[in-house]
Amino acid sequence: MTIDLTQFHDAFFEESLEALDSMEAALLKLDVGAPDKELINTIFRVAHSIKGGSATFGFSEIASFTHSLETLLDELRAGAMQVTMPMSDLLLKSVDVMREMLRSVQSKQPLNSQRVSDLQFDLEMMIAQKNAAPAAVPAASAAPAAPAAVPAAEVAPASPAPAATAPAASVAGPTASAAVAAPSAQASGWTMSFRPYPQLFARGNDPLRMLRELAELGTLEVTTSLAGLPSFAELDPQTCHLAWDLRLTGAIEEPAIRQVFDWTEGDCDLTLARFGADPAASAPAPAQASAAPAASVAAAAPRAAPAPTAAAPTAVPAAAAAPAASAAPATPASGDSGSIRVSVEKIDELMNTVGELVITQAMLSQLGSQVEGPTAEKLRSGLAQLERNMRELQESVMRVRMLPINVVFSRFPRMVRDLAQRLGKQIELKLTGEQTELDKTVLEKIGDPLVHLVRNSVDHGIEMPAVRTAAGKPASGTVHLDACHRGGNIAVEVSDDGGGLDKDRILAKARDRGLVGPNDVLSDEQVYDLIFMPGFSTAEKTTDVSGRGVGMDVVRRNVKELGGKIELRSERGRGSRCIITLPLTLAIVDGQSVSVGSETYIVPLISIVESMQLKASAVSRLSGHGEVFSFRGYYLPIVRLYEVFGVEPRTKKLDEGLIVVAEGEGHQRIGLFVDELLGQQQVVIKSLETNYGNVQGVSGATILGDGSVALILDIPGLIRALNMRSAA
Amino acid sequence: MKKPKKAASRTARKSPRSAGGAAAGSDPGPASFALPIDCMVADAAALKESLAGLVGDSRPVTLDVAALQRIDTAAMQLLTAFVRERDRKGLRVEWQGSAPALSNAARLLGLTSELKLPA
Repeated sequence: MTIDLTQFHDAFFEESLEALDSMEAALLKLDVGAPDKELINTIFRVAHSIKGGSATFGFSEIASFTHSLETLLDELRAGAMQVTMPMSDLLLKSVDVMREMLRSVQSKQPLNSQRVSDLQFDLEMMIAQKNAAPAAVPAASAAPAAPAAVPAAEVAPASPAPAATAPAASVAGPTASAAVAAPSAQASGWTMSFRPYPQLFARGNDPLRMLRELAELGTLEVTTSLAGLPSFAELDPQTCHLAWDLRLTGAIEEPAIRQVFDWTEGDCDLTLARFGADPAASAPAPAQASAAPAASVAAAAPRAAPAPTAAAPTAVPAAAAAPAASAAPATPASGDSGSIRVSVEKIDELMNTVGELVITQAMLSQLGSQVEGPTAEKLRSGLAQLERNMRELQESVMRVRMLPINVVFSRFPRMVRDLAQRLGKQIELKLTGEQTELDKTVLEKIGDPLVHLVRNSVDHGIEMPAVRTAAGKPASGTVHLDACHRGGNIAVEVSDDGGGLDKDRILAKARDRGLVGPNDVLSDEQVYDLIFMPGFSTAEKTTDVSGRGVGMDVVRRNVKELGGKIELRSERGRGSRCIITLPLTLAIVDGQSVSVGSETYIVPLISIVESMQLKASAVSRLSGHGEVFSFRGYYLPIVRLYEVFGVEPRTKKLDEGLIVVAEGEGHQRIGLFVDELLGQQQVVIKSLETNYGNVQGVSGATILGDGSVALILDIPGLIRALNMRSAA
Repeated sequence: MKKPKKAASRTARKSPRSAGGAAAGSDPGPASFALPIDCMVADAAALKESLAGLVGDSRPVTLDVAALQRIDTAAMQLLTAFVRERDRKGLRVEWQGSAPALSNAARLLGLTSELKLPA
């Protein structure tokens, strides 16, 4: 019987990639010259836990690389090296490489090992250059192409304890870190009781790794309990039977220790007690003992040790014991036990079921309204209650899928920093509304468009410092990313205080390319719209940042696919703003139901400008454009829905039906001719493409309360079809 | 004890030295076993299979650790149980070669004396 460790790989990759994000964020906050100790610790811990995890899973290349990185970070942590700009760049590149390595291992793709070894060489060179403190891990021995996955503690000079009788050993940290930690509190530290549950190994945890990490925090004394160890024949090699009592001396904060045991939550009993610095708090609170019976039941462990649960011993407030912690941002390292990871498929399934329920409920409500008799009133009040509950359920499930837009925003500080550096510009990135929540699917698809927009702002928008100063603006430009709720939608805005769009140049370029006739007069909006045309770029020369003209049309297409809209505003010399309006979710749409003959169609509310009754006299015919009507100074084409879908309408006379003015992309409007308006409702979108096939002018379908199917209209699609017909 | 064949071949593949390393014959010389390069939780079952033939061997058993590069707690626990079992029966275990991975792991896990490793 062997354990398949691959089952833990996904969790490792996911957590490591997240940890890299936080490492990157910390690196970006790191000030050259006067770095924040806590930030360095955060960065170090990430490298450290990825190293441990990758060694456990046998990803030797990652382990080897992170080992070099960790060595450098350890020097920083110990104050033996200073943070410089090249180092900060190198560390950021290391994040990229680690991300690449994790992804390539995850997807089982070959690794760009040249890039990895180059960077590893750079890291080691940087350590070697410093080379002042002989106490450090000998970099030279690790440098000449030694990708062996030997973790730090194992190369470090060993100091084995000669204890012949007692099973206790004292372990000093392999680097100077233990000595650095010592002076502030000579004889203070932590005692720990670490009692793994039998399944600890099977969950991919290795106590050896944890003890090694602890030994790096300070001086570790280990006492092993072999009481639970069965005879050789009875031993299940994959079950943990050992337990440890540990004494860790040094000025160590509780989160640092908790972090070591991060991945073992629920797989062990862990009690921490401080000694030395705070005698009052040296014993675990008695209240903890009451939790013991439950813990031992859950453990089903063969040993009887009634250890408290892994919950934090509340009697030891970390901040009180560590004055330095007060300045640090309060980030409880292992305090996220209140959340669970759930796969997206499961949530989608749940969402789908709720969608079906909504349809059933609508059907029942409709039936209920037709029932007569003594019980009818009761039935209807029950149905009303059902409807309320359904709405709550639906909202709850939708909330589960919501993530703060920060997930997307967080990639920009790094990107803007790198781009600005490359272009020689000074740019400050301002992020606001990061906590605005958005459906996960929408969130995933909005990332790329935002990258294009931010790149555009950095490359085309913000001017070079000299140009800015000459124009009386501060040398440093600002790019602002903002998200907020607006109506039932989310508005995401990318703005900059750069030069703004050059209308004349855009127009000239468009005339050059024949996109606009030489004598056409265009409104501002129409000129800005040109930017969204495929292949359009006004950048003077193509850089690797932007200017290939593949950006903005892709942006608009992506936004449109999400059912959103994009708007551009600009003021010459003052900057430009790009506003993306997105629906909260892709699963449900606010719709207006309209009837055409016996059919019902849903027009998304976001597309509707207004509804009106036309007088026959307001309609005229234009050759090549069919029927048009005058709407606020513009002539809009009329689309008779019964013609599009081949339905027999109640009336074919325009003044007997209604016109719904709907707007597609780029302010293109049309008048939809329908029989009548039925009502507004939220409808659950069912994909036509998945269940049937793509139909032009239809974005999906939904099931109505009476069980009939209604098509959801795709206004931009209808406009496209109309344009093609009139062009033909 | 399931799939002994597969377990044995696993060990052999991991370390060429361990192929035929377990010389548990009837000849009176000392028995020896070479630990493979990797002694991790995934290899622990195979390792147990290999050691099971030696645990009651009346000859002194030598464990060769020269090839060993990576070891984790699961394997350390297994070795501890092996040494303890033989100790209880009054049988010796000798260590041959040096493996920093082993001595460091023993030191960190507090098992150095239990495993009778050279200090």
